Amino acid sequence: MSSEPIERRVSYLGDRLKATRCKICGKEYFEVRDYCGNCGRKSFRKMENIDLFYEKGKLELCTLVKDPTNKFMKLGSYVYGIISFHDGKIRVSGRLTDQIVNDGDEVDFSSLEGREVVPRFRRRYSVGRSEVIPTISLAFTLADEYYPHQKYTIVKPSKEYDLPGIVGYGVYTSRFRIKEGKLERSVPFVDEDAVTAAVEAGKIALIHSGVDSGLFGKIYVGSESNPYAVKPIASKVAQVLKLGEEEEDIQGVDAVDTEFACKAASSMFKDAAALVNYPKSGVQYAMVIGADNSQAAPRGCPGGELDTFVGYGAAAYVFGKYDVIAEIEGWYSCTSDTPDFWRRDGEMFPMHGGRFTGDPAYFKHVRKATTKLMERLNLQPGDLDYFVTHQPNPQFPVKIANELGFKEEQYAVSLQVNKFGNTYSGCSPVGLAAVLDVAKPEQTILVTSYGSGAGSDSYLLRTTKQILDKRQRQKINVKFQAENPFIKYVDYTTYRRLKLGM
Amino acid sequence: MQNRPAVVAVGRTKFGEHYGKEPEKLIEEAWLTASQECDLERRDLEACYLSDCFLPITNKLGLEEGFLSELTELHVPMEATRSVSAALVTACQAIQAGVYSTVLVGGIEKMTDRWDKIRDDLMLLEEPWSYYAGGTPETNHELMLRAYIKKYGVTGENLEKLNEALAQVAVKNHANAMKNKYAQYHREITVDQVVRARKAAQKPLGLFDFAPISDGASALILTSEAAAKKLTDKPVYVMGYSSATDYLSFPARDDLTHFTATRIAMKNALKMTEKTPWDLPVVEVCDQSTVMELVSLEDLGFCEPGTAWKYINESCNDYKGYYEIDGKRLYVNMNGGLKADGNPLGATGGAQVFEVFRQLRGEAGERQVEAGQPPRFGCALEFEGFGTKAYVTVLGRGEDE
Repeated sequence: MSSEPIERRVSYLGDRLKATRCKICGKEYFEVRDYCGNCGRKSFRKMENIDLFYEKGKLELCTLVKDPTNKFMKLGSYVYGIISFHDGKIRVSGRLTDQIVNDGDEVDFSSLEGREVVPRFRRRYSVGRSEVIPTISLAFTLADEYYPHQKYTIVKPSKEYDLPGIVGYGVYTSRFRIKEGKLERSVPFVDEDAVTAAVEAGKIALIHSGVDSGLFGKIYVGSESNPYAVKPIASKVAQVLKLGEEEEDIQGVDAVDTEFACKAASSMFKDAAALVNYPKSGVQYAMVIGADNSQAAPRGCPGGELDTFVGYGAAAYVFGKYDVIAEIEGWYSCTSDTPDFWRRDGEMFPMHGGRFTGDPAYFKHVRKATTKLMERLNLQPGDLDYFVTHQPNPQFPVKIANELGFKEEQYAVSLQVNKFGNTYSGCSPVGLAAVLDVAKPEQTILVTSYGSGAGSDSYLLRTTKQILDKRQRQKINVKFQAENPFIKYVDYTTYRRLKLGM
Repeated sequence: MQNRPAVVAVGRTKFGEHYGKEPEKLIEEAWLTASQECDLERRDLEACYLSDCFLPITNKLGLEEGFLSELTELHVPMEATRSVSAALVTACQAIQAGVYSTVLVGGIEKMTDRWDKIRDDLMLLEEPWSYYAGGTPETNHELMLRAYIKKYGVTGENLEKLNEALAQVAVKNHANAMKNKYAQYHREITVDQVVRARKAAQKPLGLFDFAPISDGASALILTSEAAAKKLTDKPVYVMGYSSATDYLSFPARDDLTHFTATRIAMKNALKMTEKTPWDLPVVEVCDQSTVMELVSLEDLGFCEPGTAWKYINESCNDYKGYYEIDGKRLYVNMNGGLKADGNPLGATGGAQVFEVFRQLRGEAGERQVEAGQPPRFGCALEFEGFGTKAYVTVLGRGEDE
């Protein structure tokens, strides 16, 4: 059974947890109501919409679901219960996610009841491969575990810059990891995918930037693991994060997906920057997200060699001209038709050109873009504070950085592949975020992405004083996620099951 | 009550897994047993009230009235409802209004025809948002139990007793069903089995705490008082009936430990009959789970909120065939309840009335309570959804009036 109109209505309310509050008596309702039961007709047009998506809830009561209904089978066992918001003014049903409950695991309901929880945007349940993927935010995680609650506070901008740049950013990787040797890679939970990661990263970026979501004019999402061949991730992000002015149930924002292997997102940084800088665009802010549940065939199958390095995650960047934390001082992009990595339409997993992905592909393009940009801006490697590049494995970025004349202290901070794996479109943006997490004002960062197929974008960024102020707003930074005590490690079999999703 | 309607005959099928039978075979069987009991011809029926909860989903059967028309070769008015209690209310009102004097009230359900998807359907119909959040047909019962334990501060030894009491509800209902030839289960269970099933499930409630998925049909013949006297010497009157509703969303309700709808329906039904709860010592409650039987005793007013488990536990430690509450005897779910008699949703209420009817007439055989002098009054409580609708029907022999 599938009904697209029902699906649309349920996800419209459920993704954002839309609720209503009576302005007269303060009574609150989950879902959208035109009048209040207490106040009756006089409350008509006095109901205000609220979203619980950024709120913190409390798990009031819970039990274990060990024998789910058909559509929830792939979740295995999970804790399910009643969650309250606003001191019990609203109560909804919800399940705890990001938890693997094995047979025989004791679940102590009393110790869970009363704990604070954060709503998470996830896949709702399994459907057939041809159907619309249902989503919902009635999935929750414990607020004192991997993912804490962060308040979204809109901050009035204080300064306009000459050059456009990064206003805020956010990185999202899941709680689960697979660890093999020294390499740790992030693994999505079974209800996560590229879409959910994009939304989470966007949410974290909004919180960091303090920008009013209604002021966005454009959202780009770059991914190569969109679960749809046709249907943008960006439209979901726009709707859930309420980007652009909202009228009725439509967001006044342009949303588009881009694809160019691992540089699908980084390629759009300059487009976003140019757009917010164009005086007649009317676009104050633009968001660029790179999100991937990086695909790889299972080991032992053609293309399975990728399964050693693939990760899961997303990075979101807000571009604008107000309260910039890093100005964009220049860029250079290059492209050639090089088939080093590809996925044919309808195929589950990408193919890979083996050694061909090295010299003629990755190294050639990264080298070209980086040297060209430095040449144009008349810079030497020693003039820069940080160098960030794409990280398909732990060796490649180190090799090219050394070859280009960068020292370890310039590139070491950005190397996150050992923590999260290759997050494809999110990869160099995650590396850049790790640098922005620690950079001081007035430092220069050169970031060069790489996308198979093939091409590179190189950017020069210069941090501003405001980078320090905004840092306080972000608890869920790269280090927090990389070194989180609540990380759960899974074995290869579980990793494959989780990665394939529901 | 003016023009009080009378149940003159009852009929039902065995509840259970009727894989080989079409839905129409079941209702035919129920109707035939009822009509034979009072020697009624189908052409005497002036209207039919048929209930089913799921036939359009389980059997892709819409317009159940047409299908009943074809079966009975009748062209009388027919209406479909979701539960026998709802059908009975409508039928009673028609008889009281003097519109009809003889009608059929029937219920039918064929849940096993959709065995693989029925739990999804049950939950989706119970409440969509809870389904979307991952709820199952069992979860609300377990959450209500958690809420009850917390609200009444039941801990330690008392909590053990409460959990034992719930297990004893299931054990008692299975024992009662041994004496009911129509019951789905003819199998005694033990407290230990119930508790082990909970442990295996790692949950507050286990397999033996829940009513099964069932097929079945039930039929009642309802007439005016005047017509009843021509058909039987022992009519059982509908002395009162009432229903109340509650929010579809369980989490959004004010009270998570009890069913507000039951309290209201019982209050109004008692007002209608000018009786107190203890005038009705034969009770069929809607025990979709053992928790429902427990809280229903409180909601119906037989004991104070937060106390039923003590009475159940004490009574069942040395079970004499009834719950003893403050020295008084309460006969609950003598047919085995939904737990053991079966729960074919649209037909379940018919089986409840069937049982109260038999008990009041002293025809319950091995199950008969107070055999020397059967109770004069009894009642049935039926739910639609998880307490979203509650129906209370009060039946009585009416000899005192």
